[in-house]
Amino acid sequence: MFSQFGATAESLSKASTMVFRIGTDAHLYDDPDDVSISPLLDSKFDSEKCEALKRLLALIAQGFDVSSYFPQVVKNVASQSLEVKKLVYLYLLHYAEKRPNEALLSINCFQKDLGDPNPLVRARALRTLAGIRLHVIAPIILMAVGKCARDPSVYVRKCAANALSKLHDLRLEEHTASIEEIVGILLNDNSPGVVGAAAASFASVCPNNLSLIGRNYRKLCEILPDVEEWGQIVLVGILLRYVVAKHGLVEGSIMLYSCSLVKYNSEREDLKPRLAMTENPDDVGGEICSEIADVVSRSYLEGPEKYLSRLSCMDKNTSMDISHSTSSKSNDDVKILLQCTSPLLWSHNSAVVLAAAGVHWIMAPKEDVKKIVKPLLFLLRSSNASKYVVLCNIQVFAKAMPSLFVPHFENFFVNSSDSYQVKALKLEILSSIATYSSISAIFLEFQDYIRDQDRRFAADTVAAIGLCSQRLPDVAKTCLEGLLALALSESSNKNGASADEEAVLVQAINSIKTIIKQDPPSHEKVIVSLVRSLDSIWAPAARAMIIWMVGEYNNIGGVISKILPTLFSYLAGRFTLEAAETKLQILNACAKVLLRAKGEDISILKKIAGYLLELAKCDISYDVRDRARIMSNLLSHLIGSPYLEEVQDKPEIKDLSYVLIESIFGGQTKLPSSEPLSYRFYLPGSLSQIVLHAAPGYEPLPEPCSLIYDESCNFSTDVQGIKSPGVGVAHNEPNENDDSEAVSGSLDEENTSDYSSQESMIGSSESGGSYISRSASDVNDNAGPLIHLSDADLIHGNGAEVSEENDPSGSNGADELMSKGALESWLDENSGLNQNSSDISHVRKSLARISIKDIGGLVKPKSYTLLDPANGNGLHVDYIFSSEVSSVSPQLVCLHISFRNCSKEPMSDILLFEGESDRSPDSSDQSVSESSPVSRSEVPTLVPMEEIENLEPGQTMKRILQVRFQHHLLPLKLVLVSNGRKHLVKLRPDIGYFVKPLPMDIEEFSNKESRLPGMFEYTRRCTFTDHISELNDKNESSLVKDNFLLICEKLALKMLSNANLFLVSVEMPVAANLDDLSGLCLRFSGEILSNSMPCLITLTLKGTCSEPLDVSVKINCEETVFGLNLLNRIVNFLAEPTP
Amino acid sequence: MLQCIFLLSDSGEVMLEKQLTGHRVDRSICAWFWDQIISQGDSLKLVPVIASPTHYLFQVVREGITFLACTQVEMPPLMAIEFLSRVADVLSDYLGSLNEDLIKDNFVIVYELLDEMIDNGFPLTTEPNILREMIAPPNIVSKVLSVVTGNVSNVSNTLPGATASCVPWRKTDLKHTSNEVYVDLVEEMDAIINRDGTLVKCEIYGEVQVNSHLSGLPDLTLSFANPSILNDARFHPCVRLRPWEANQILSFVPPDGEFKLMSYRVKKLKSTPIYVKPQLSSDSGTCRISVLVGIRNDPGKSIDSITVQFQLPPCILSADLSANHGTVNILADKTCSWSIGRIPKDKAPSMAGTMTLETGLERLNVFPTFQVSFRIMGVALSGLQIDKLDLKNLPSRPYKGFRALTRAGEFEVRS
Repeated sequence: MFSQFGATAESLSKASTMVFRIGTDAHLYDDPDDVSISPLLDSKFDSEKCEALKRLLALIAQGFDVSSYFPQVVKNVASQSLEVKKLVYLYLLHYAEKRPNEALLSINCFQKDLGDPNPLVRARALRTLAGIRLHVIAPIILMAVGKCARDPSVYVRKCAANALSKLHDLRLEEHTASIEEIVGILLNDNSPGVVGAAAASFASVCPNNLSLIGRNYRKLCEILPDVEEWGQIVLVGILLRYVVAKHGLVEGSIMLYSCSLVKYNSEREDLKPRLAMTENPDDVGGEICSEIADVVSRSYLEGPEKYLSRLSCMDKNTSMDISHSTSSKSNDDVKILLQCTSPLLWSHNSAVVLAAAGVHWIMAPKEDVKKIVKPLLFLLRSSNASKYVVLCNIQVFAKAMPSLFVPHFENFFVNSSDSYQVKALKLEILSSIATYSSISAIFLEFQDYIRDQDRRFAADTVAAIGLCSQRLPDVAKTCLEGLLALALSESSNKNGASADEEAVLVQAINSIKTIIKQDPPSHEKVIVSLVRSLDSIWAPAARAMIIWMVGEYNNIGGVISKILPTLFSYLAGRFTLEAAETKLQILNACAKVLLRAKGEDISILKKIAGYLLELAKCDISYDVRDRARIMSNLLSHLIGSPYLEEVQDKPEIKDLSYVLIESIFGGQTKLPSSEPLSYRFYLPGSLSQIVLHAAPGYEPLPEPCSLIYDESCNFSTDVQGIKSPGVGVAHNEPNENDDSEAVSGSLDEENTSDYSSQESMIGSSESGGSYISRSASDVNDNAGPLIHLSDADLIHGNGAEVSEENDPSGSNGADELMSKGALESWLDENSGLNQNSSDISHVRKSLARISIKDIGGLVKPKSYTLLDPANGNGLHVDYIFSSEVSSVSPQLVCLHISFRNCSKEPMSDILLFEGESDRSPDSSDQSVSESSPVSRSEVPTLVPMEEIENLEPGQTMKRILQVRFQHHLLPLKLVLVSNGRKHLVKLRPDIGYFVKPLPMDIEEFSNKESRLPGMFEYTRRCTFTDHISELNDKNESSLVKDNFLLICEKLALKMLSNANLFLVSVEMPVAANLDDLSGLCLRFSGEILSNSMPCLITLTLKGTCSEPLDVSVKINCEETVFGLNLLNRIVNFLAEPTP
Repeated sequence: MLQCIFLLSDSGEVMLEKQLTGHRVDRSICAWFWDQIISQGDSLKLVPVIASPTHYLFQVVREGITFLACTQVEMPPLMAIEFLSRVADVLSDYLGSLNEDLIKDNFVIVYELLDEMIDNGFPLTTEPNILREMIAPPNIVSKVLSVVTGNVSNVSNTLPGATASCVPWRKTDLKHTSNEVYVDLVEEMDAIINRDGTLVKCEIYGEVQVNSHLSGLPDLTLSFANPSILNDARFHPCVRLRPWEANQILSFVPPDGEFKLMSYRVKKLKSTPIYVKPQLSSDSGTCRISVLVGIRNDPGKSIDSITVQFQLPPCILSADLSANHGTVNILADKTCSWSIGRIPKDKAPSMAGTMTLETGLERLNVFPTFQVSFRIMGVALSGLQIDKLDLKNLPSRPYKGFRALTRAGEFEVRS
């Protein structure tokens, strides 16, 4: 009768929506396959591409795998239309991990987009690039993120912060430091939007690196109210952890409450022995439940699992170390945290409110915690979902500190629209905050709840009544009456009793039982009336409980013992009809009664017991049978012996069974006095608190005062004042002050883009020219023909542009050389340029150019073994990369291969040729193709080598091999035939020889360099140590060469021996200090073999001659993947010492 | 952080999936989830956090659409829930309402929106005003255009200026021909009246809704005549908190269009505008019910859209109810709704009837709760009054409008 209305309404609404589907993407979702997608993707119209992409998206939405379209889709990443781009990005992100090789094809497009003037394009490119998540391109992403972290657009910086956690997901151990550095930069951003996102990345990247927070703590606190809501949630948690780790817990807060209580009690021990918290009845709902508060605070600090396990094996009174505490009044950091989180309690985002409330709960002194109550209660007016989470948290607060919520009990009254879970939580909270003043109102409510349609909830209500009366013993009597009435009325309703109905009844009896337990003698009448109603109570669980009570309390008063014989004969009569549960309790009760029975009842009871045991022995349930057998043995002397008194009078003949039965059934069950609390508490607002187990990634609060080293206090305030642009490039003064300076790259200055700064840097280093100083001429004297101070430099340094020695470590020697006026004019000019010029330029202004002449002859390329005699029947094959350039194709790399016959017999027909396909499935996964797939087919992998017909023992022959490597890391598999035998050999590529020298002069170099800024420029640093041993040797022998020169030579040699490059220039600082190398600059140029793109490398040194040098390697290259890999290679070989 | 978001229809069909991080979530989790829903009944739909064997699931259900988000690691659950509700809000704002067809029809927009709203599992842009600038909502014009000319892009080419400004909720260069601002007080009365007819709890949940169409960067100050009655409040991010703390004045730079400036609670009210008196008596298998509705305290304005709704207890087999005013409907799910509209002057509306109980049941043991709804235009029952609204930084004198409205929130009468 009810259904027809619903049906029509539904169909009506369906019909009406049909009308509105016109003009939407409905047809795409419904039949994404109805046209062929491929031609659309290749169409030259954006609208058709869009349609194709939308169809693909529809298929993704419906769970189909459309990754086969990947190559076609990737092509469209270059589209100009932003809509196409966005759709492509959506698709790419979905499948990039499945198709890494094709995904790599899009990288260059992203690189281009990253330089786009439109911030939206930059941001989307970065987001997608980072979202592709391939290990191969991780360095590129890192660089891109580093750049974008200094982008003028807030939005881009925000995306950069998000990209950091994507990078972190790739688990790149080697980049952790640089990732954390960028996190630091972003945390110090002036825009609240960025700080929020940075906080999120901090939480996922390096949540324990709290010193990073220490640097900016004050600023973060101050910016907190302006941070966007989602960031606030995370940031609040981070700040809390920091303060706990730095300053410890707050005196008088809930966390230290139990401690102070112990202290307080022990101090007053002699005056008033143990002032227990629960003595004062109104205190029950009043103050703090110290026991729970203790568990709460320990759980927060250790995590409940650890705490509970420790509890079971150790004495739990290991008092918390109170020395790690602080006071919210005296400690500024704590004070400012509490101040700054207070406004968040008014946020319109529930999660923010809860996070802020959590901070106050943990950090605020307990008299101030009440501030969080109203905002928390306000959250209960939000959606059902958040209501549940909030209540879970309030429940903990209310348990530990009922006083907070006592005046607000009305807020926990149940609405009919609440879900069952919400209702249950509300009940639990109500029963833990009830006081004598509010209990009557609460009971009135409970009466309504019992009549609720949801019987499960009604049963819970009954349980809650039991709990309340346990907490407030004075109301126990009222409760009992109510419950009894309820039990009787419920039992009368037995006909329609479903499982749910029963639950209420069982719960009512259960609650009665718990109340009676508190004070059995005064409740004898209740038991009697329950027994009277046994006839109508059918639920086995309820009956079992009533019988248990009878057995347990059979001798507390006069009444029960009088009805026992009648009761048991009634039970015996119905025994076979009972459920197993009840039968067991009847047997137990019977034993208990027998033990305590007196007078003439004994003989009747004995008879009944014997009858019952016989019945039970033949029961269907084995549990009952077993129980009966055990009992009949134990009770044998009671039942069997007719003179019970006699036995009791003669203790010597009491047998073991009597002792046993006495101890099993005789003693009153004791109330468990203090059961250990086994609640699990997790930090407020955490997922773990809701699911009640530690979710992966859950961490308790850090150990109080564990953060000992902390530079923040001194610097946190002045950091804001310092505006230093250099973001840790080459600025390495030994104190930490510098560190904080380095990360405080201020936002305002970043608005001037990187591009201009690069130009200005080059400009200044050029126009600064060089200035001949004493040291330079010294060098000149000593160096002989190798040093050549060019005339051009002399002309440049004509005094008008005298540069200042700006290095803090340098001496004042230069000052004498310049007039005051000149200094000022330089200063003026420099300030007019750009403050953002990087450190490299401003450390060093006066330079001399050195040319190292016969270096070419000294170059010794490294030799690698292709085949050693042991494996090759005595044939030894070595190869070195040659600096020659192939004449066949620019993609071929030339190698010199030397064959040596180490055996005693001559060899013949030695030939190297290409092995079988080297693209095994696993290797292709990682391969970065340097060359485009089209040209790959045209160029042979190997230009055939001239065959060596004969090789006599001991003879060495050389051949030139031209090879095209697939990838700069993957070895090329070749087959070497000698004497008709095949050997599989692997030719390992060296990216350093994928370039050829590109001769140019310094002007051209700087010109080119200025055209490759931003995304095309990467810097890495390493340490160079090769020179040290030689310097030491030299000191012992005669003083032949200048240190500078030696180092330049060493460095240049190392570069040229490992990579096929052209040395453009060597520039030397003209420093007053002879030993200080800082600013020495070597420039190399090369051209990528495959595509003739220029590749510029600049090495800048720092440090003193006799110590390991800090080399910063900069590479400018349009082909970023290649450039980065080359950069890594250079850094690797520079850092590794020459044998 | 969130790993994946699924949109499920009310039949459990996965309409959309959006993977957010590298840890992809297979959509089989939805099948698991739906199996649980089926086996445990709809009550699971109301559990916002579920621990599945592999993932933690967060769910928000709106208009039959389940927004399901998955994660495997610790994260603030409220953040996920708030975010999902925000997604639901934005979607229903974009699409007009929410239902299965609307989402399917506009799946591209849904994808684009989700992509802007969340990045790597962390919310990115959730401010509706900015989203509107980034992705144009579907409207009639664009629909017609797309029919006529093929496709029309709804993706903006430029980054909204607001993302960079210090008031990220507002466009930077707004121009309106007519400057106007409307302030509405919308209040909801929550009340619980227990079986004895006593008012257990009565409070007002109110919102100050502002609809502003103002040029430039206006600075508004709103003050109340009696701010002291406000118990607690929550504010839109645009509200400056210092002036509120000091003088309880709302000072803000408004977003454009409609927004919720603040929400507040006024507790411990003494009376309700209408009364609802249900009476149930049952004997020998039948139950007589009568419900009386009338005006208790005349608020001075007319009360309309009065409806009384209740769920018939499961033990009732059939019901025969009639009213002397308005219409009585019994829906398929045993919901009985009596829509009264306005209370006539000449008679007090009443509904009466008999219900048959299940066989074997003598008397009714569970009693329904009556949900009452009504609406009163032109009055804020909390008594909150707006004192004045000052506008600074405006080129011309704007038009200011004030309205008030009270309706029933969780207004319950137990029987």
